[in-house]
Amino acid sequence: MPLIPPKTWRIPKDGNQPGECEDAFRVVFPSGGPTIMRAAVSDGASESAFSRLWAQILADAFVDRPLDLPGLTEDGLLDWLGRCQEDWHAAVPWDRIPWHGEAKARTGSFATLVGLSLSTADEPGTFRWEAVAVGDSCLFLVRDGHLLVSFPLDDPARFDNNPGLVCSNPVNMGPLWDGVRRTGGECFPGDRFILASDALSAWFLARHASGDIPWETLEKLNVSDRDPWVADQRQTRAMRNDDVTLVIVQVSPVES
Amino acid sequence: MPYTADISRNNPGCFLFLLDQSGSMSEAFGGQPGQLKMDGAADAVNRVMDAISQRCSQGMDVRDYFHIGVITYSTDSSGNPLIGTALPGTSPDQPFLPVSEVVEAADVEERQVKESDGAGGLVDVTRRIPVWLHPVAGFGTPMCAALDAAAHALQEWTAQHPDSYPPMVINISDGAATDGDPEPLAQEIMGFGTNDGGVLIYNAHLSQMSAMPVQYPADENSLPPDEYALKMFRMSSVFPDPVLEMAGSMGLPVTEGSRGYVYNADMVALVQFLDIGTRAATDLH
Repeated sequence: MPLIPPKTWRIPKDGNQPGECEDAFRVVFPSGGPTIMRAAVSDGASESAFSRLWAQILADAFVDRPLDLPGLTEDGLLDWLGRCQEDWHAAVPWDRIPWHGEAKARTGSFATLVGLSLSTADEPGTFRWEAVAVGDSCLFLVRDGHLLVSFPLDDPARFDNNPGLVCSNPVNMGPLWDGVRRTGGECFPGDRFILASDALSAWFLARHASGDIPWETLEKLNVSDRDPWVADQRQTRAMRNDDVTLVIVQVSPVES
Repeated sequence: MPYTADISRNNPGCFLFLLDQSGSMSEAFGGQPGQLKMDGAADAVNRVMDAISQRCSQGMDVRDYFHIGVITYSTDSSGNPLIGTALPGTSPDQPFLPVSEVVEAADVEERQVKESDGAGGLVDVTRRIPVWLHPVAGFGTPMCAALDAAAHALQEWTAQHPDSYPPMVINISDGAATDGDPEPLAQEIMGFGTNDGGVLIYNAHLSQMSAMPVQYPADENSLPPDEYALKMFRMSSVFPDPVLEMAGSMGLPVTEGSRGYVYNADMVALVQFLDIGTRAATDLH
């Protein structure tokens, strides 16, 4: 199943430098196995420390150390996460943290995660997609010009300041499993998967609810148009001033 | 809706602490003979500045989401006003520093504190505690001179930051101005503002009387029989709706019309009071 090269954006909040964006993403196209693509978006919480690091660790781990999504169990997830937490702990420069960062670093970083995996299915020539999410970074599946799946949130009013979050400190993780959402299904030529962090996801759902076709708006934007377009959406308050990350993966419309 | 502006480095928030260092601040605080008002006030402001700094911390660095100023006021023994500031390189007319410079200005002390061990017990740990203010008690209470300096500073700050969340002024005082009537100056300050609303003034009144504490009153009838309480109440802003909602969610005893005014608060109530300001802007960008 051929895939069109992905489109990806990452634009920091207004007022921040590109290097200060606390969203992270990764897309990989593995070969030699059933999985043909894995993508992840993770949104580090601004209020926590070292959250950019944590978001990148989660996004990298999702594509580099695949979870068994159809058979995911709480123990399996905690195992996978344990290694992420160890990586985070090893990467934090504990002996150099200034006084103002100490308490937050001890508490741990927080981030959302949405991950997508495309694989060959048991029946030859068929494909499946599987997704997992914690928090308000979203996955949208557009098929035949319709929004077929909006996951895990489908209502722009449900984006608030308290999304589910994965914590880098096991002590402060809370009841993570209750907040884990999974979905999946068959994948067809022409399917378009869109992964986005919360501000863009909320915008996407609000535009869709008002009858627009937001994926077309996003697809049409050239690289040079993206920053001014996001700035304009923020200015008119159509989009919250937050980091914006987008990954669009499209299955080629014609099977080869 | 006013008081909803996002706080970002382009549009930072602003805290201005006004700290009374008059002679009465050496009296007992919160009904505890072991603690003095000047200790409690300095400790509370240090804690809140610590909390603001931590909120802006990304771990290794801090983002300039806020500008902070601290104006202190007292007189010498002849009654001449002594209007000072607590942050290096600032003056009463220009008291503000961005948080990144505020954190650099702290004296950092190591203290033993007890913390939860996560298993129901307590353990002694060493923590680094920032200190900006040390307890001082002089003579008179030139609150008008302090508010006059604050007015100049805030007029300039609001003109420079028209799209910011409005500044919050937090005045901690015995309430007995010795240099005139401070109410018109407070009203003048409340008249300044940004496109998101007027400057908010909150008063922590550590009275020289030992009357019962009052928190966040909404009307004059609930004030204690203290001649200065009515004046301080009138000098305090009514909580705007978003702040009222947030204070309610913190479990504080607020009602419609509540003002940013606490009378004879103890340490817990004083820190909670100051915390309202730091949490008012819940969505940092």
